[in-house]
Amino acid sequence: MSERTLMGGNIAIAEGAILAGCGAYFGYPITPQNDLLEYMAQQLPALGRVFLQTESELAAINMVYGASATGVRAMTSTSSPGFSLQQEGISYMAGAEAPCVIANIMRAGPGLGNIGGAQGDYMQCTRGGGHGDYYLLTLAPSSVQEMMDLTMLAFELADKYRNPTLIMADGFLGQSVESIVMRDAVKKLPEKKWAITGAKGRPKNLINSFEMNPLDHPARIKLLLEKFERMRINEVRYESMLLDDATIVLVAYGSAARAAMTAMKLARKRNWKVGLLRPITVFPFPNQPLADLAERGCKFLVAEMSGGQMLEDVRISVGNQNEIKLVNTYGGVPLTADQIFESIDLMM
Amino acid sequence: MPARSGGDEEGGEGLSWEVTISGFGGQGVLFIGRLLLEAGFAGGQQVSWLPYYSGEKRGGMCTCFVNISDERIGSIFISHPDVGVAMNPAAYKMLEPTVKQDGLLIVNESLVKTKSQRPDIKTIYVPSVEAARELGDETVGNIIALGAILASAPVVTTSSIIKVLNQMMSKNKRQLELNKAALLKGCEYS
Repeated sequence: MSERTLMGGNIAIAEGAILAGCGAYFGYPITPQNDLLEYMAQQLPALGRVFLQTESELAAINMVYGASATGVRAMTSTSSPGFSLQQEGISYMAGAEAPCVIANIMRAGPGLGNIGGAQGDYMQCTRGGGHGDYYLLTLAPSSVQEMMDLTMLAFELADKYRNPTLIMADGFLGQSVESIVMRDAVKKLPEKKWAITGAKGRPKNLINSFEMNPLDHPARIKLLLEKFERMRINEVRYESMLLDDATIVLVAYGSAARAAMTAMKLARKRNWKVGLLRPITVFPFPNQPLADLAERGCKFLVAEMSGGQMLEDVRISVGNQNEIKLVNTYGGVPLTADQIFESIDLMM
Repeated sequence: MPARSGGDEEGGEGLSWEVTISGFGGQGVLFIGRLLLEAGFAGGQQVSWLPYYSGEKRGGMCTCFVNISDERIGSIFISHPDVGVAMNPAAYKMLEPTVKQDGLLIVNESLVKTKSQRPDIKTIYVPSVEAARELGDETVGNIIALGAILASAPVVTTSSIIKVLNQMMSKNKRQLELNKAALLKGCEYS
């Protein structure tokens, strides 16, 4: 299928989930992702799949856990305050190796904050977010097309690694509408021998995140850590734009990356050697490509809609030798191409 | 005719329109942005539409950013539009200084009593409420403003907007005819 259509970012996530065979969705309304939940309410029952508006975000994530344990592709979506509420459940799922997809359409925090789009949950999204030694494989779309494509990928990766996978997008992207190319539905879902499906004729399966014997627990964590290492090796994704001759590298994701693209074009028009590295996975983070650019002597400008959270990952990647600057907004204010361009100008 | 983004100043080879429409929630700001989006999409172009509003149900500020381009769209947020539509005084305050040089500013003079001091842009004053009232329905003031855009800036063609209206309002003949009449009336302001 290559039908071109207009679609909202949140709807593209919902549609991507449906195409990827999501069999159960549980969620609780919160701006700016309500249209995702509404679309699932309209679509899933007609397809014979499960939609449930729960009494809270906590209920939603725990129902996702239950559905996932039975082998169904399960999902929830929320926005920042709701995502905080879900951390306990997500940690349990990571511990139990129960795959799922979560979409966090970020708004401004902390606390109830504001309904304006933001990227202030970066640390929470890329460092696990809940208690214990775990990470979420975290994908950061920067267009409506990627909202769909990365959601489909998220289901695949969640099952591949038996780990919760996160779509981390800002509210501006969620509410924007763009033209996209529709994708084909996934025809065959992976077999899950570990799932709880009734133990007739086979040994029982157990899905939990608890280890009674303290001596056994480290071995279980070791397996998780090895899994995260495999993600670091195999799943780093990013887009490079005009990096071959770049002396200044913009680093941005989500809708901030779109503004960075425009700023880069303005800079190129002045023959300034500016390129863009756009992380598509933020865990695992593209450390090595940034380290390689640092080795070449590049300067870095991190553009994000938070106090400077991804900035820390760039610092880890680049080290102390190269100039690293931040251009940012926070509190629900979009980052503009003008602001980024002015910061580039100051670095020239 | 206002200059389109692209060419020498903007970088990139393709041409694009950046349109910002702003006013009160309830004035139909998002809707005329949506019509531009649908028409641009039907014309085979790259498009983006971004709503930006506060928490109020009615009467809060509401802004809509629309990109229509021959090439991949960068920023979905627009700081300096080619075309600005100011439906209320706060929108005028935001847009009058930020519309690009040689750009177009549509001012809803039913609510905005100030005159632009910028000689480097084209400003069209549209009495959208009174003009809509003449058609028998005040709610189509936004469509009149859209007509005024198209009269001075070929962001999309008037016929492409009519096609979108035909599709959207096929089940409500009265609405369709009213909106078409409003669009054509708006085109008289140039």
